[in-house]
Amino acid sequence: MTQRKYTKEKKVGEGTYAVVYLGKTEKSRQIAIKEIKTGLFKDGLDMSAIREVKYLQELRHENVIELIDVFSNDGNLNLVLEFLPADLEVLIKDQSIIFKPGDIKSWLLMTLRGIHHCHRNFIIHRDLKPNNLLISPDGYLKIADFGLARSLGNANEDLSSNVVTRWYRSPELLFGAKHYDTAVDIWSIGIIFAELMLRTPYLPGQDDINQLDVTFRALGTPTEANWPNVTALPLYNAINVYAPPSRQELRNRFSAATEKALDLLIAMTVLDPSKRCNSTQALMDDFFTESPPPTRPENLPSKNTNKKQKTE
Amino acid sequence: MTNDPVARSNITADDLYRRSTQFRVWSYTKDKLVETRENTNENGRALAIKKFNISFETFKKDNSEIFESHKEELDPHTLIDLITLDEEIKYLNFYAKNILEAAKYFKMSTQVKSTALSFFKKFYLLNSVMQYHPKNILYTCLFLAAKSENYFISIETFCKGLQKTEPKDILDLEFTVLQSLKFTLLVHHPFRPLYGFFLDFQQVLSDIKIDEIGELYDQAKNWLNNYALLSDVSFLFTPPQIALAAMYDTNPNITNSYLSKKFKKLDTIKEGEVNGQTDYDLIFRTIENCIETAKQLIESTREESTKIDRKCFFAINPDKLINKKLKKIKQGLQPQ
Repeated sequence: MTQRKYTKEKKVGEGTYAVVYLGKTEKSRQIAIKEIKTGLFKDGLDMSAIREVKYLQELRHENVIELIDVFSNDGNLNLVLEFLPADLEVLIKDQSIIFKPGDIKSWLLMTLRGIHHCHRNFIIHRDLKPNNLLISPDGYLKIADFGLARSLGNANEDLSSNVVTRWYRSPELLFGAKHYDTAVDIWSIGIIFAELMLRTPYLPGQDDINQLDVTFRALGTPTEANWPNVTALPLYNAINVYAPPSRQELRNRFSAATEKALDLLIAMTVLDPSKRCNSTQALMDDFFTESPPPTRPENLPSKNTNKKQKTE
Repeated sequence: MTNDPVARSNITADDLYRRSTQFRVWSYTKDKLVETRENTNENGRALAIKKFNISFETFKKDNSEIFESHKEELDPHTLIDLITLDEEIKYLNFYAKNILEAAKYFKMSTQVKSTALSFFKKFYLLNSVMQYHPKNILYTCLFLAAKSENYFISIETFCKGLQKTEPKDILDLEFTVLQSLKFTLLVHHPFRPLYGFFLDFQQVLSDIKIDEIGELYDQAKNWLNNYALLSDVSFLFTPPQIALAAMYDTNPNITNSYLSKKFKKLDTIKEGEVNGQTDYDLIFRTIENCIETAKQLIESTREESTKIDRKCFFAINPDKLINKKLKKIKQGLQPQ
């Protein structure tokens, strides 16, 4: 596999470990080429690059970014990725776009389908956020950026709790848990679901300590009663004990949500990870079969100005 | 095929495995594996000969008199001594064990160790030792495996633990190794399915004491470490097949009763008695085959390895080989 098959036409972004170009394949398919700088780091190939290649090579799914090819030139590692001009964060922030209930349902469904595929392959994404949910020209949502992903841990293996962008970080991670699983991704998707309805970040903590406060003020402080053994987690503290929100309080918070939408949101944001729903349960949820149906990808709102590929 | 959407969406663990790079890129039939190794050895020899000829011509030009007077001793065909396929396999098995030692020294997990071995075996399935000397490749595989399996270790710490190895020796090869791995890094090892079977055995064989199953599990783990990791089984069998082979070879009685219970149970539910029997026979043949392959490991003595090591060194550095011979001749020419 060589460079000759692809053209690099325009540099569209530069991150810490990669430069992204837009280009085309021989068959004129639009692509993004992520050129990973090697020989730049003291310890050789960067861990994020290794993870990205490792997991994207295994995943082929309509709702996961496609790794079309990998090639090397001048000792640099090049990932040929499908061209994805927008992301969910941009759409959420664009106040000129109106989200209909079917639109939100469609994005949530595609996110869950993508993550279900990761999870059934025993892969945890660990950095789900609107900015990493990219949108194809025909409206399909694709999970991207596997730089923090990892395989499900072995029983005796310690995992790092310093993962997931703060606002989307689950309570077990906030408490420094060393053993966790795919439930951390479900939490993130629950928070993204809330953000799609609110059009503003749901739990925007200012720092790690504040994140605990913001999270539990909104969802109640975990206790031994609703989450056995939570007090044994390394960073557990309950300086402020907040009561869990009442159903009515949640109805007020998400005024446009149906009862079924609230049920699913609650199931995805259960504090105790062992009681949180999994991707299969979420996908089978009644919310997806109640009216209105999820909007077809090609009919979803899109940002037609200023198309550009994300850097990372 | 059915059009029922529910039936269509049922994707089995087997379907998922078939989509993995381990299956798509790195699974072989026995014949194909042999053929691939033969090609690699052949390519390695061709490369070494080419390199030798270049050196030979250079030396010949600079020492035309001696080359003329000592035609027989300096005949390319007597000088050159390349590594055969059999020697190459022995030699690699010898080196592979160094990964185990290094991994132990750094207190790396079974996961890291197994992945490093997998990288090493894949690398030399496609590259010959006559092109890349195994010493630095093996450390590079270990370093890359550690990163890939989330066991980060800085290059300084890593090199400090090894003998005569500089960061550059490893970092320069990291990309070469990644490329030979065809940029596939995820390896499915038999340890997790073994743990799965350990749990399922307890469920299915409720009449057997847990201690007995626990002992079987521990011994089967050792079996995997001793046979599966170093042998070719991962190119030829799936991880659960290897795990079952480990259990069967450790304790055929318990494993047999598990398998018959499992398949007979399926028969009554699925009403597919014929299929159940066929599956049962197939899994047995597969297990026996796997055990045989696992125990086929060709080993060599230290002396033999030292001998191949010299050959390998000269295959990679033909200058040194010719120079050595020349020196010997020149010494003989000098008056005593």
